[in-house]
Amino acid sequence: MRVVAEGRWPEAGDGGVPGVAGFVHSDFAPVVVAVADRCLGRAHAVPPLPAGNRTAVVLVSASGDRASAGHVRATVAAGGRVGPLFFFQSVPNSVAGHVAARWGLDGPVVCLSPTGEPRAEGTAEAELLLHDGDADQALLVLIEQAPDGTPSEAVAVLLEEGTGQ
Amino acid sequence: MAEREHPRITGVHALSALGRGGDALLAGVLAGTPAFAPVRRFDTAGRRVAVAATLPEAGALAEELADAIDAACRAAGLDRAGRADSALFLATHGGPRSLPDPAVAGPDAPPDGGPSDRVAGGPAVSGAGASPGVDGGPPALAGHLSRRGGLGGRTRVYTTACVSASTAVADAAALIARGDLDRVVVAAGYLVEPDQYALFDAGRAFAADGAVRPFSAGRQGLLLGDGVAAVVLESAAAVRHRGATPVATVAGWGRAGDAYHPCQPDPRGRGLARAVAAALGRAGLPAEAVGYVNANATGTPYSDASEAAALRLALGDLAGRVPVSSTKSVHGHALEASGLLELVVTVLALRHGKLPVNAGWLGPDESCPLDVITQAPRPLATAHALTLNAAFGGANTALLVGAP
Repeated sequence: MRVVAEGRWPEAGDGGVPGVAGFVHSDFAPVVVAVADRCLGRAHAVPPLPAGNRTAVVLVSASGDRASAGHVRATVAAGGRVGPLFFFQSVPNSVAGHVAARWGLDGPVVCLSPTGEPRAEGTAEAELLLHDGDADQALLVLIEQAPDGTPSEAVAVLLEEGTGQ
Repeated sequence: MAEREHPRITGVHALSALGRGGDALLAGVLAGTPAFAPVRRFDTAGRRVAVAATLPEAGALAEELADAIDAACRAAGLDRAGRADSALFLATHGGPRSLPDPAVAGPDAPPDGGPSDRVAGGPAVSGAGASPGVDGGPPALAGHLSRRGGLGGRTRVYTTACVSASTAVADAAALIARGDLDRVVVAAGYLVEPDQYALFDAGRAFAADGAVRPFSAGRQGLLLGDGVAAVVLESAAAVRHRGATPVATVAGWGRAGDAYHPCQPDPRGRGLARAVAAALGRAGLPAEAVGYVNANATGTPYSDASEAAALRLALGDLAGRVPVSSTKSVHGHALEASGLLELVVTVLALRHGKLPVNAGWLGPDESCPLDVITQAPRPLATAHALTLNAAFGGANTALLVGAP
């Protein structure tokens, strides 16, 4: 697979991650959006891409959105009501769909919880989608959220068939 | 060596509120009697809606998944060596309640006498009771299930919400078709639990009238349901080599995105239509080959209309003549497991030549101009059926199932 562009969050000079409308309480979704924007912005000037680009979004995370899951669990356990925004925020698809809608990425959306090395597993999924013919490119996002509340870190890689950088 | 023949399905198993096993599932969807009832598994005080389709005797999710994997492997006639060659693709939401529960889990001996690996008390999932407690999480569950089932191949875990299981099947079929793998056991599970229930209630996604009415006038929303399923997929060569009898083929598959909205489907249905087109294209079949569509339809007003638009885009005028039903109207929405539960429904319907009923019908809705099976099961007219799924994020899948 050839790396078309790559970005990380954070990179030198980054401060706090910008918020994303519709996503609350956790930095999981904002970091996904920030790192995807950074990567895609290095390959394409501005969104959206032309229709029919068949760019897949492959989101790989072992932790998932721990902060949101913990909030929901604690709220439910205490007999409370969770906020309605958590309904869609509770699955990684939603922020993947946010990125897809913002950039016009109309390939498949796939979320994995890695059983092996995350980047290798995500790259293998991207390669399969391209080889199988459902995608022409793939945006791979790797994100982990620490249990202690430290800011999330992420890598985004735009991949296409081929070798090298 | 690339596999040119379609991957085979050689064993299936499913649990839902309709009962345990494929016979109970088929009988339930053909009878068309919804399994929804007041939730007794946990406290629903303060929720707007308190109805779901649950199986009262269901055990812990890990136990039910292990049982489903074993039952599907037995149905496929897999011996110990056959299991050892098998990969496991797992579709689940994960999280603490998905993990083996020491208080509920039974003896952890594998069915064939292989080495025991009692994860329930082991360090890999020691955070199971913590909050948020996903340390180890779904990958640890996959490892546990793989060892317990004697499955020696690679493991993968799909967390793609309501297309998790169908994406796992598509990927398994693609890897088998490419010659990378000979056999994959796809397993998926969701048992109705308080956290997701609270989220769907907060999102006002539930049908307040306690009925799921896909494509119908007056539909109000979805209801959750238990679903645990396992399916054995194999290359045609592997099936021949061990003299097994397939129950169905995966003739085609497709995955595509809407690029429309974080949690609403494209009203024009373009992503799902492209998934259907991809599935037909891989099968090398025209739309006329489709004799039944097991729809994703959840009973939600805008998403059912979007699916109808997708079928119109993908099948043209045939969309109004192909029999369609959503069996979520009977067994409920099993979230990450829905794609596999509905694949099992489709396989069994195809084998028995009878098409399930779309329960909850009040009358036609002009935004869903489809031939919905509303009264009684119909006979199947062709050898192929589609099963469709869609999820938040605009993720869509189509699986084309064929007679063996």
